[in-house]
Amino acid sequence: MSIWSTAAPAVSAAFLASLVEVVEAFTIVLAVATLRGWRPAAAGTAAGLAVLAGIILLLGPLLDRVPITSLQLAIGILLLLFGMGWLRKASLRAAGIIPLHDEDAIFAAEAAQLGEQTRRQRRNLPWVAGITAFKAVLLEGLEVVFIVIAVGAGRGLLVPAGLGALAACALVLAVGAVIHRPLSRVPENTLKFGVGVMLSAFGVYWTGEGLGVAWPGQDLALLLFAALFLGAGLIGSTVARRISVEVAQ
Amino acid sequence: MTVFKEVVAELIGMFVGEKWLTIAVLTIVAIAGWLIDFTALDPLVGGTVVLFGCLVLLVESVYRSARAGTS
Repeated sequence: MSIWSTAAPAVSAAFLASLVEVVEAFTIVLAVATLRGWRPAAAGTAAGLAVLAGIILLLGPLLDRVPITSLQLAIGILLLLFGMGWLRKASLRAAGIIPLHDEDAIFAAEAAQLGEQTRRQRRNLPWVAGITAFKAVLLEGLEVVFIVIAVGAGRGLLVPAGLGALAACALVLAVGAVIHRPLSRVPENTLKFGVGVMLSAFGVYWTGEGLGVAWPGQDLALLLFAALFLGAGLIGSTVARRISVEVAQ
Repeated sequence: MTVFKEVVAELIGMFVGEKWLTIAVLTIVAIAGWLIDFTALDPLVGGTVVLFGCLVLLVESVYRSARAGTS
């Protein structure tokens, strides 16, 4: 029970969060590949993944040296800030206060930007395209690395969480290879809402453990925290929608 | 150098999406830490402060952003 109540939320949080981030990176890499060919897109992606692997190899041994309560507190606070940030934005998007993430629009904007760069810098086209893919993979990948470390460290779940993230990468690449266009039908805001709930719940749990709190029910407390954050997110979204409607009338 | 700056900006943006929410969460955690370390209260009280403090902050932050976004 304990393994499932801890591992299942950690793996699913890593999988779902990675799904969102990999979809975003895939859109930009696909734009690069469509306009400039697969070679610079693949090179930029490989370079981005290499830097991410270097960061993991550098951080991994360092994390082992940090006292467990300090690690739990630091990761807990970072998870609270990160998870509540996602949940806040997802609530505002669900209420229509800020626009939904549109992969088709991002693809078009990225393609237009690359086209503009092509017009201005004719000499270094593959280089510019490769850097664009590199940045997309690195910037989106940083969030994946943080989430995997955050939900996996402290309980020996780095490998399962990492496998959850890799499964998300494999799924996006497989679907992307088949349909060969931006994955605009992924319910990104719903996923972000769900991941925000899970990360915020983990954040409260780890912060409490780091402060010396013995949560009643131990890992099962995560389920209660997730239910409360889900409720708070839905309340926030409902209130924001009412404000939006009132202003519109 | 531009890539490095963007990475740093991304890292900061990951945790400081909304300045006041960040400050408020850190304040709540500091209050809970103080309650646990410097009072005779059960540590669970501090944990409860973190939990319900963050829930209230979340709703308040969405409400405030909605007001600001529609005004």
